[in-house]
Amino acid sequence: MESFFVRYRNLLVLLALLLAQIIGLAMQVHRADNGRHSLDPRDSAGVRLIRLWADAVVTPPEEFFHSTKMGTIWIWQNYFDLRHTHEENVDLQKTIDRLRLEQAALLEDAKQGQRLQAMLDFKEKYIYTTQPAQAIGSSGSDSSRVFYIDKGADYKLDRDMAVITADGIVGKVREVFPHTAQVLGINDQTSGAGVILETTRVRGILRGNANGRLQIVGVLADQRIQPGEKVLTAGGDQIFPRGLPVGVVEKVVTDPDRDGFIDILVKPAAHIDRLDEVLVITSTQPRFSDEQQSDLATSEAVKGAEVAAIKEQQKASQIMAERLPGLTDPNAPPPAPVAPAANGQTPAPTGPPVPKLLQPQRPDRYTPGAAVRPAVDTSNSTPKQKTNPDSDEPAPARRNP
Amino acid sequence: MMDVLGADYRRNLGVRRFPLLVYALTPLLALMLQAWLPRLVQGYAWFDLPLLVTIYFALVRRDPIQGTLMGASLGIFEDALTNHALGVNGIAKTVAGFLAGSVGVRIDVENHTIRLLLTFLLSALCSGIYVFIYRILLGLDFQWNWFSELMTAVGNVVIAAVVFPLIDRTQILD
Repeated sequence: MESFFVRYRNLLVLLALLLAQIIGLAMQVHRADNGRHSLDPRDSAGVRLIRLWADAVVTPPEEFFHSTKMGTIWIWQNYFDLRHTHEENVDLQKTIDRLRLEQAALLEDAKQGQRLQAMLDFKEKYIYTTQPAQAIGSSGSDSSRVFYIDKGADYKLDRDMAVITADGIVGKVREVFPHTAQVLGINDQTSGAGVILETTRVRGILRGNANGRLQIVGVLADQRIQPGEKVLTAGGDQIFPRGLPVGVVEKVVTDPDRDGFIDILVKPAAHIDRLDEVLVITSTQPRFSDEQQSDLATSEAVKGAEVAAIKEQQKASQIMAERLPGLTDPNAPPPAPVAPAANGQTPAPTGPPVPKLLQPQRPDRYTPGAAVRPAVDTSNSTPKQKTNPDSDEPAPARRNP
Repeated sequence: MMDVLGADYRRNLGVRRFPLLVYALTPLLALMLQAWLPRLVQGYAWFDLPLLVTIYFALVRRDPIQGTLMGASLGIFEDALTNHALGVNGIAKTVAGFLAGSVGVRIDVENHTIRLLLTFLLSALCSGIYVFIYRILLGLDFQWNWFSELMTAVGNVVIAAVVFPLIDRTQILD
């Protein structure tokens, strides 16, 4: 018996390790209600412990590498590469001024929107607080689109918090460790986000494919969906707030598995493969945050008077435009349709349409198509309208003081 | 085949030895770089450094058990950094380590061409095992990109051509 174990020691070690890992795998997979297998979204305590160990081993050197890289970039950008900084500052200041102007103009609309939402008990939520974080590492595998950020439970991060950049959504927090967190990218095969197409209002589920590209699956074929249409978050998944940019439609392909369905390939708005800094949405509230309100107040204080002046000017222009007579009579009947000729052919247009002139209140001899009537009864004329009998010209109208 | 699998048939001739630091640091460095480098190459992470380390040490040590254990531990470590189940990479690398150690008994591990050819074959085998586990064993809906797997095998060969001679230089000479 002893010789058997010694003789086949290699093979027995292999089988034991394989068996242990297969049993471990079986414990991590469960059968869903629809009969399909899936991995547990939440790791068991044992699995989480192993992930924690792996994270503890890999994270410190990753943070060191990342800090070194960022430090080098910082030194280069702040001490050496300062060309055109002044011009950039001037441009940025102009941009801030323009944005403040726009923000002040939109403030009233936002306030009105909030009032209406409050009246309708609409549960719209705004991004309230975010936590900036640095992406420091990855899973190291093409089939697993996860990455690690340098903030964890110590910054009150929690599972299923949305991760975004200024350009668009990036992923969601999958696992939280003491000082780091694992983020599941939206281009992973196991991810899912509710999205809506901006124009056609078609809804679908966004996930990644084997190549790490984004696609919306399970959409009924619709001819209206065209490349270039914007894709936004729908807000129904309880993770991403509604209306965040996701990307634009890149291509529409037929679903190879289901007839009548299409897959929509999406070009992401955020640079998912080149992430350095991200924002974790730590809370959403049905009102603007204090910081946002402070920013709005600043914009209103700085640019409010300017916006009011512009609005007054626009209003005055509109009133003036309404009062001034136009060349086209708004009460005139619409032009009659061109009757077909006797041979059934539509007559060729003879030229550009001639505008119909309004009838002047006081026609004179210069009025096109109008003859001046001679003054027959001068007694009917007002004393101030003196008519010269030797002349066909009417008396000039008296100028009001 | 059973002759190869038996421990008694392992030949001690030509077994290389390395400083303990190399045994400890090389796998660790491979794991850290595997987690960090894909962020730099951005979508072109066609390499598997822990697999290369597994193959190398299993080959030059000519020890299937050592290859099996190293493959299992490095594979599980890699799984722990992903969102996948623990054991998928573990099983694939366990098999790769065992086969590399078993083949190392029979072949001339000094020959670079044979080592690179083995690296390519074992990389492709690992990808196959990976897909087999996901689709057949676990019955999960998993898409895979054969081009990416092929490029990973090629990338491993390219890196092995550079790294294997470098690690060779750290061996303890008798």
